[in-house]
Amino acid sequence: MRKIATLLLSAGLVAVSTQAVSGPKEDLEKFRTYFEQKFPGLQLDEFGNGVYALDANKRIQWEAMEEFPPYEEFVDKGREIWEKPFKNGKSFADCFGKDPSKVRVKYPRWDAERQQVVTLELAINDCRKKNGEKPFKWKKGPIAWLSAYLGYEARGQKINVVIPEDDPKALEAYEKGKHFYYAKRGQLNMACADCHIKYPGHFVRGQLLSPALGQVTHFPVFRAKWEKKSKNGDGLGTLHRRYGGCNKQVRARPFPAQSEQYRNLEFFHQYMSNGLAINAPGYRE
Amino acid sequence: MMKKSIVSIGLALLIAGCNATTPEKPMSLKEQYEAALARTQAAVKKAASVDGEWRDVRWKKSKKRYLPKAIEAAKAGDYEKALKLLKIAEFQAEMGYKQAMAEKDAGPHLYGL
Amino acid sequence: MTSNNHRFSGLAGSLLLAAGLVITAQASAAEDPLSAGKKIAFDRKKGNCLACHHIEGGTLAGNVAPPLVAMKHRFPDKAKLRAQIWDARTNNPRTIMPPFGPHQILSEKEIDLVTEFIYSL
Repeated sequence: MRKIATLLLSAGLVAVSTQAVSGPKEDLEKFRTYFEQKFPGLQLDEFGNGVYALDANKRIQWEAMEEFPPYEEFVDKGREIWEKPFKNGKSFADCFGKDPSKVRVKYPRWDAERQQVVTLELAINDCRKKNGEKPFKWKKGPIAWLSAYLGYEARGQKINVVIPEDDPKALEAYEKGKHFYYAKRGQLNMACADCHIKYPGHFVRGQLLSPALGQVTHFPVFRAKWEKKSKNGDGLGTLHRRYGGCNKQVRARPFPAQSEQYRNLEFFHQYMSNGLAINAPGYRE
Repeated sequence: MMKKSIVSIGLALLIAGCNATTPEKPMSLKEQYEAALARTQAAVKKAASVDGEWRDVRWKKSKKRYLPKAIEAAKAGDYEKALKLLKIAEFQAEMGYKQAMAEKDAGPHLYGL
Repeated sequence: MTSNNHRFSGLAGSLLLAAGLVITAQASAAEDPLSAGKKIAFDRKKGNCLACHHIEGGTLAGNVAPPLVAMKHRFPDKAKLRAQIWDARTNNPRTIMPPFGPHQILSEKEIDLVTEFIYSL
């Protein structure tokens, strides 16, 4: 009698757990399937090339730019920053390990101790503060150069964001980031999902909309638009710089770079590109 | 003598009656501004609390900055302009809050995912 | 015609021409509704319709949404067209089109003018 009861109970539990609210793994599967169906025949890693995977004309121009990429000099600056010791004699290697190619793939990550998402840029400035150095500004300049260098060194490695299953707060952060992506905001009432899930491959004026899948692989990104604004032709900017720009464009108040909102958003956004190869930094018009 | 008292009492009642039924002295522009400012600031706080604030209410890089510009106008004594700007700021703050609340259940299911 | 008459008609002609020019100039300054509506529709900071819609006379139009053409066929009732511009969510709750009316992106007067222009396409 007891055996039957235990059997029934376990069966019941299994039934309940399989009907449980879908988690990140299920979200990712649906996400991938959606884009595979939207762009049949497009190889997974190609999504990391964004609009250049979708438009043959733009691709020709883009490939020409990537032959002698304008971001190279800034990647070099990033390498110099990585190698230069702090005033106290230590260096970034003391925070991240000696091998610069092994850094990028670890972020963003859930920090159980601090109970928050830690991005690569956040970790960079954590390291500087820990060693008595002034933190970099968050959106461009040295932080973008260093992040670009670390991304460049990690090219080809597959994104692998981990959401620890034993910490409900980690899942909560992911869910908050996910909600951010799909919620309409701003006076123009648009969600990230409107442009990048519903209408990728369409034109807004002369600009092609990129798909959400693969959207993060090539960040920090070198944008021609940012290059024109810069005094020294520096078009590099971080992911959170772009988040702010997009929010501004739909007339929503941007959140500060590395705010909890954007770190949670990044947590979700990068997770959705798990399995895709890092190809940072990327050139974009 | 009696007539005078009646008249005085009557007059007093009339005045009292008038005071009771006459509306309160209308608010000065400055007072209207201060009331609107308090309302607007509360609305902005509410919108921000649900991450629903719009760009042009007070963000420093906005070209409009309705709320700070309203305060500037009031400081310069132009309460009419301040009230006009506050009206827009309050409207946008309220709408931002409503929007965020309406989007509470937003998710992939709304996009076929 | 005597030389005096000639001179007089020449003068009168010039005056008429000048008057005509002034009247035309004032008319353009007051702007007909279609031009005013087009201006708002094409203004990136106002209607910005070209962001998503192909419209005759616009350059580099987007293609997120249907081209705006044969509008009287598609919206025989002008009021319905205005309602769609005012708040497209009525027909599609998750539309990407901004709610120009409820969010006061455009004023009611501007929406009137844009409606006139779009209806004419």
